[in-house]
Amino acid sequence: MSLSRRSFLTWAGATASVAALGGLSACAGTGGSAAGQEGDGTIKFWSNHPAKSKDVEQKIIDAWNAANPKTPVQLIDGGANYEELAQKFNAALTGGQLPDVIVASDVNWFNFALNGATAPLDDLWTKAGVKPDTYVDTLREDYKLNGKHFAMPYARSTNLMYLDNAIFEKAGLDPKVGPATWQQFAEWAPSIRKANGGKPVLAIPDGSNYLDWYFQGMIWTFGGHYSRDWTATFTDPKSIEAGKFLQDQVKQGNIAVSNDAVNQFATGGASALLESTGSLTGLTASAKTPFTTAYLPGPKPGAATGGAGLSVPAGISEDRKLNAVKFIDFLTNTQNTITFTQATGYMPVRKDAEADPAEKMYLEQHPNATTAIRQLNENTQPQDAARVFVQGGGKRIGAALDRITIGGEDVATVFAQLQDETQKIIDRDIKPKLSN
Amino acid sequence: MSISTRSPSVPADDDLEPPKRRQAYSAREVALASALILPNLVLLIVFTYRPLLDNIRLSFFDWNISSPRATFIGLGNYVEWFAARSTGTIVLNTVVFTAVSVIGSMALGLALAMLLDQKLVGRGAVRSMVFAPYVISGAAIGVAFQFVFDPTFGLVQDLLGRVGVDTPNFYQRPGWALFMVTVTYIWKNVGYAFVIYLAALQGRRAELDEAAEIDGTGPVRTFLRVTLPQLRPTTFFLSVTVLLNSFQVFDIINVMTKGGPLGTGTTTMVYQVYQETFVNARAGYGATVATIMFIVVLIITLLQVRIQDRQD
Repeated sequence: MSLSRRSFLTWAGATASVAALGGLSACAGTGGSAAGQEGDGTIKFWSNHPAKSKDVEQKIIDAWNAANPKTPVQLIDGGANYEELAQKFNAALTGGQLPDVIVASDVNWFNFALNGATAPLDDLWTKAGVKPDTYVDTLREDYKLNGKHFAMPYARSTNLMYLDNAIFEKAGLDPKVGPATWQQFAEWAPSIRKANGGKPVLAIPDGSNYLDWYFQGMIWTFGGHYSRDWTATFTDPKSIEAGKFLQDQVKQGNIAVSNDAVNQFATGGASALLESTGSLTGLTASAKTPFTTAYLPGPKPGAATGGAGLSVPAGISEDRKLNAVKFIDFLTNTQNTITFTQATGYMPVRKDAEADPAEKMYLEQHPNATTAIRQLNENTQPQDAARVFVQGGGKRIGAALDRITIGGEDVATVFAQLQDETQKIIDRDIKPKLSN
Repeated sequence: MSISTRSPSVPADDDLEPPKRRQAYSAREVALASALILPNLVLLIVFTYRPLLDNIRLSFFDWNISSPRATFIGLGNYVEWFAARSTGTIVLNTVVFTAVSVIGSMALGLALAMLLDQKLVGRGAVRSMVFAPYVISGAAIGVAFQFVFDPTFGLVQDLLGRVGVDTPNFYQRPGWALFMVTVTYIWKNVGYAFVIYLAALQGRRAELDEAAEIDGTGPVRTFLRVTLPQLRPTTFFLSVTVLLNSFQVFDIINVMTKGGPLGTGTTTMVYQVYQETFVNARAGYGATVATIMFIVVLIITLLQVRIQDRQD
């Protein structure tokens, strides 16, 4: 058989086509379980280093390793963000080597728990001598499913409103006090815009950057919700009213939905910013002018909790699980949660951290960090299931919010579609597993 | 003395018979061929064809990637994909991105190859510069081009601002976002088409160009009637490989737009595979999109081969 150039190209093309799909599907795996996987004695901690925390994570791990040489921890890059880490963990679930501890974000932990990918921790807490009551109650209870906990709080955050001191003062407003309601924000907006050369008052990240998280507080203050229990409520008139308010503020130029809201605010392109507490340390270093943090507008609760916890894979051996929980307990103990939160801006996850003298002094010197802690107790509530428990919920809601803000589409129509899509997924993918 | 009765000018009957096929390969030759082919064949089966078949199998299941269990649903995923509201947008994005990338990469690659085939000062350095982006990771290029297209701080914004032109918001307008990722991909990929075309140009028959010059043929006519036909096999090869590469672009889209704006503004089929499999955890549905994509790519490839056959 002679191989002409044409026939070579035919086969090369066909093979390349096949390879293209092979590459895509390589991620799919077989879905096998890996129960009781043994390790090599090292606790493998997969982290995406939230808020650029790699150095402080390593510092804490070094302290653990010095005290526990027989069960050292290895810090492994799990990806650039929560989503990449979840992808890597999913790939490991299909047959790879499982880690001992993973960072699980607010939108990922539930899917892992619901599908048996991560272990319930309550019995392990007892065996490891962990005192769950020492964790901040609301943060600990965020990870409860069917009466058991599937993660421990770690890089926990809420959203804050960052106010440019100079602009607010120029507008005759006190930057230490943010708007009490979104209606008051709308009333203040013209004077703030005037004080900043017509630039938007508030920069909010777009739908690709968690607008769905930031908008959640706003929708609550209007009496709406993404969902109540397992019923999507996007078409609730109050939810639609909140959507229309957001759309209207964008149209008027009071709110800018931005692909890089932090930079826009830091460089003076907006007078205020909605962002995570996790951005506090970075913004303090990069912002052009001094700023103050404030609660999100009410009525209370006007802000959602968020961030990430730490989970343990269900498929590793009991010994590994126990060591993993001991390490998590250490990583989030009072001293280490203080160290971690001061380095990043996240909230302390242990109750007694606030009473620690060093932390007290730090908070007195850094009032912006205090805002998040106070807001946690006064102005937050756990997130709606439609965002955090419905897989892909955040992205789905974010895209819909982009459509009404950037795209200017009709709010009622977009929310009706969102309602249908979300409820369908709840009914198809979640309810059957809950009833089992 | 024997005299031949055959005229020397007439071929003998034996000469009219077709040449005999070689009877059989020796056992040694077969063993050698097998030894050479087998390792690659095994690798191909294990790492390409097995996942392919596994993927097709998975496309008939409802499988949450975090779960050890999958439920057989027949053609349910296929029905859902064809009925989905977003499918039209995603297919259109894929077609536009791929078509513009293929045509843009090849046209620019050919133009640069023609230019740098000339004896110009510093052409070696320029050739390297043109090819360099091809070997840089797509993710790195995506990050760099975020600064190029940033509507507030970007290079494009700065340049347009100098001539008093407003910058479109590349990140928030679906059409401009698709334009942005396509241009970025062409920039990365043009070096590949350039190198292949340059090699082909350097291997063409110079006497044909000289003949055209002697005949007084103009440069455009020479290009269209003399140069381009000689490049036809190369153009065909590139059209296959660039098309396949373009179909699979993921990194640039993921870094620059995450498939947005408005949810599906720059979502192509390959990005949907990722989105469904890892973000929405619907690995069975993701496998369905991958299978459909495979069939489409295979059909296009076979059509290209058929067209090339006819042209030859």
